[in-house]
Amino acid sequence: MIPQMILLSILIFIVAQMMPGDALTGIIDPNIDPAAIEAQREALGLNNPWHIQYIDWVNATLHGDLGQSFRFKMPVTELVGQRLVNTVWLGLVTLIFTYLIAVPLGITSGRYNDTWLDQGITTYTYIGFAIPLFIFGLVMLWVFGFKLSWFPTNGSVAPGTEPGTMAFVLSKIKHLLLPALSMALIATVSTVQYLRSEIIDTKQKDFIVTARAKGASEQRVYNRHILRNSLLPIAAFFGFELTGLIGGTVFIETIFNYPGMGLLFIDSITQRDYSVVTSVVLLFGIASILGALLSDIILSIVDPRIRIK
Amino acid sequence: MRKKSLSKAFFALMLVLLLALAACNSESSSDEGSKGSDDGDKAEDKDKGGESEDGLYDISDFDKVAANDDEAIDGGELNFGLVSDTSFEGTLNYAFYSGNPDVEVIKWFDDALLDIDENYNYTQDGAATYEVNDDGNEFTFKIRDEVNWSDGEPVTAEDWELSYLVIGDPDYDGIRYGSDFTIIEGMDEYHAGKADDISGVEVIDEKTLKITFKQATPSLENGGIWPYAIPKHIFKDIPVAEMAESDEVRKNPVGFGAFKVDSIVPGESVVFTKNEDYWRGEPKLDKVTLQVVNPDTVVQALKEGKIDMTSDSFPTDQYPDNADMTNVQYLGDVDMAYTYIGFKLGTWDGDKGEVVPDPDMKMADKDLRKAMWQAVDNDAIGNKFYHGLRWNATTLIPPSHPEFHDDSNEGVTFDQEAAKQLLDNAGYVDTDDDGFREDPNGEELVINFASMSGGDTAEPLANYYIQSWEQIGLKVELLDGRLQEFNTFYDRVEGDDPEIDIYQGAWGVGDDVDPTGLYGRDAAFNYTRYASEENDKLLEAGVSEEAFDTDKRKEIYDEWQQLMVEEIPAFPTLYRAKLVPVNNRVKGWDVSSEANPYHEVSVTEEKPEINE
Repeated sequence: MIPQMILLSILIFIVAQMMPGDALTGIIDPNIDPAAIEAQREALGLNNPWHIQYIDWVNATLHGDLGQSFRFKMPVTELVGQRLVNTVWLGLVTLIFTYLIAVPLGITSGRYNDTWLDQGITTYTYIGFAIPLFIFGLVMLWVFGFKLSWFPTNGSVAPGTEPGTMAFVLSKIKHLLLPALSMALIATVSTVQYLRSEIIDTKQKDFIVTARAKGASEQRVYNRHILRNSLLPIAAFFGFELTGLIGGTVFIETIFNYPGMGLLFIDSITQRDYSVVTSVVLLFGIASILGALLSDIILSIVDPRIRIK
Repeated sequence: MRKKSLSKAFFALMLVLLLALAACNSESSSDEGSKGSDDGDKAEDKDKGGESEDGLYDISDFDKVAANDDEAIDGGELNFGLVSDTSFEGTLNYAFYSGNPDVEVIKWFDDALLDIDENYNYTQDGAATYEVNDDGNEFTFKIRDEVNWSDGEPVTAEDWELSYLVIGDPDYDGIRYGSDFTIIEGMDEYHAGKADDISGVEVIDEKTLKITFKQATPSLENGGIWPYAIPKHIFKDIPVAEMAESDEVRKNPVGFGAFKVDSIVPGESVVFTKNEDYWRGEPKLDKVTLQVVNPDTVVQALKEGKIDMTSDSFPTDQYPDNADMTNVQYLGDVDMAYTYIGFKLGTWDGDKGEVVPDPDMKMADKDLRKAMWQAVDNDAIGNKFYHGLRWNATTLIPPSHPEFHDDSNEGVTFDQEAAKQLLDNAGYVDTDDDGFREDPNGEELVINFASMSGGDTAEPLANYYIQSWEQIGLKVELLDGRLQEFNTFYDRVEGDDPEIDIYQGAWGVGDDVDPTGLYGRDAAFNYTRYASEENDKLLEAGVSEEAFDTDKRKEIYDEWQQLMVEEIPAFPTLYRAKLVPVNNRVKGWDVSSEANPYHEVSVTEEKPEINE
């Protein structure tokens, strides 16, 4: 994990440096003296060669200091802190929705495979595979946000609500639902498919035939024998789910103007806010690596065969 | 058996190949597909534009003020949409902000101490009045007694002085320290850390401030003074280096504007309540809620009445499609900006800090540049691409500065025959019969054109220009065969990339009409790298003592505009309109740049109207 992180950090840093322009390129305004901009560049160390900037950065990062955002003019840790909370909630609710949808659909579809019900669900998953998330998000926003006005269309919380109050929490949840649901409806399809094929596969296995021959009820066969075995790959899939989620938040947060890490990521790229870009990508990278680790751990818990002795 | 499996394998192989082919295919088509759907509504809008060919708009038909015959209700709340595809950064102080979204927030709760008129000259109507000495280099400002910070403390001369002390401080990490400041006496010493205060900025008494400038220029009264104060009673204990990130800037900023900040959700919204003690008079609204709205969804938000109005940054290309919203009235004014085509005529000498014109550049021939201007029909572009909301530009001083824009100067008009004639005479003829002209030495002439991506019109517009030039026999190619992303574009233009011969850019113009910052010999923003003695002379004359006489100054700038029409280092292509949609219930908003509509604006209904 450590070598991966080091490689990741170098890659991120070089790629970020290779982006044309810097945080001050966008400020092209005849009201501002170019000399002032140049002075800022010098002060921010933007004129140093990349390896010096890299060493400075690693040094600071190891001390828990992710640097200063050029555009926001505040410490990146604080900025990320503000945004991370939003994204974590969004991710969590999305995950809950994803599994809430995936598990029943997957089981139904696997158990009654090749019925009209299964075909309906499979059709949905194929449509889900085919629709790009950002189109789907826009459609959801248009239908439920604007046309039906069921959900707010903007931001993470209603302006002016007092943090810590019940109204604040409710408003947060209300703002979360639509983006989370949009993302979950798309993200869930691969899990549904996975679960379906896994169940179909498992139910033809010998031990299921044995269980049936022993007279176990159909309910018991499905709940105890098939489902438990079919959930293994889903657990393994969890890590990738996290990675996919990160990609998803980038789109969804932009569409819903939901100020989380994804939006911050896009903003900082367009504005060439290097310290934020590198930090956010690093965090995304860590999240992915942790996701994979988590998958392994979960897998070892549910599957006794791969437990490390 | 064996044969069968072989044929099966063959079948599988074919299937894989087929899929691979299909995948390649679908990739490219889905690429376009996504673009198509992205631009879906825009494609529609072209259709509509085609239908309503007469549906051209003219900026003079738009009102500047939201007049409303209905009686305003007492109090009331307004939802303000800040149109931006990025969140606002939250550096809510004039001295520290850098992005435009931030300043849209600041304007609600903080004011400049000096007001301007429609020509961007300071007036005596603002929060401070001023007197100038006979030499024109000493300004004595008197802040009105009734001007108080929204926390009740009076705005003092020391507060104003503090803004100079902060921006001039060596630790200051913003971008405002420029020629506005270095022109003040003693600023250089203070900035170098050799002095504890600025000798040119003197606090006379609690409400009086005197600023002494090294020299007098007409620009001083034309946007050349930093008119913002920083509340000293709040900031006095914060080191300059930590100010920008302090809570006093980000979470509970204090100003003396019409409203005060009630609460901020970082990056997305701000709630303002009225500042009853506002010196211009009590604001009519009780509460204003400002939200960041994505340009993609702003029209929907307006239609559903989720926001009452937007900032100046409303995307005008969405107007033709949504001109008939029943619940919204559009206000408009001439924007302080122009689009232009620049010709690369030299390089920038960073050590000397001046441009070095190079007579051997590809575009060095004046006739070639003039022919290229003659070849493009900017009125047609304005009508076809922008429905008249952008129109043919004539000179490099846009009509947003009515005092100095020369109406009588028509620039170079569209005439392709004359352009061909001009090129023929200048020796640009087609010698190898490939349909394109060669340069006077008989060598092939390919002009590389850099243009920015962004918006759906960028590409067709660039192609339109290239076609126009092709029609007069010039071979112009898009740099790298594609549009350049914003940062890349300016990086390369700024770096004098030898690949770039001409480029399309846009400038916002400052309050001060003086174009030295864009076209002067020592201006880094002079991207064309054009310089001539005549130009130096006129630009200098424009800020000299004789230019204190406005008529004389106008004369000088008329002359300069004419010089630019003759020399053509860059030619302006389009002037543009800015539009602000406001809900029918909004009363008293004024879009002109000199206006202070914040305390005047009111609403006539409890709830915003909704589009039918």
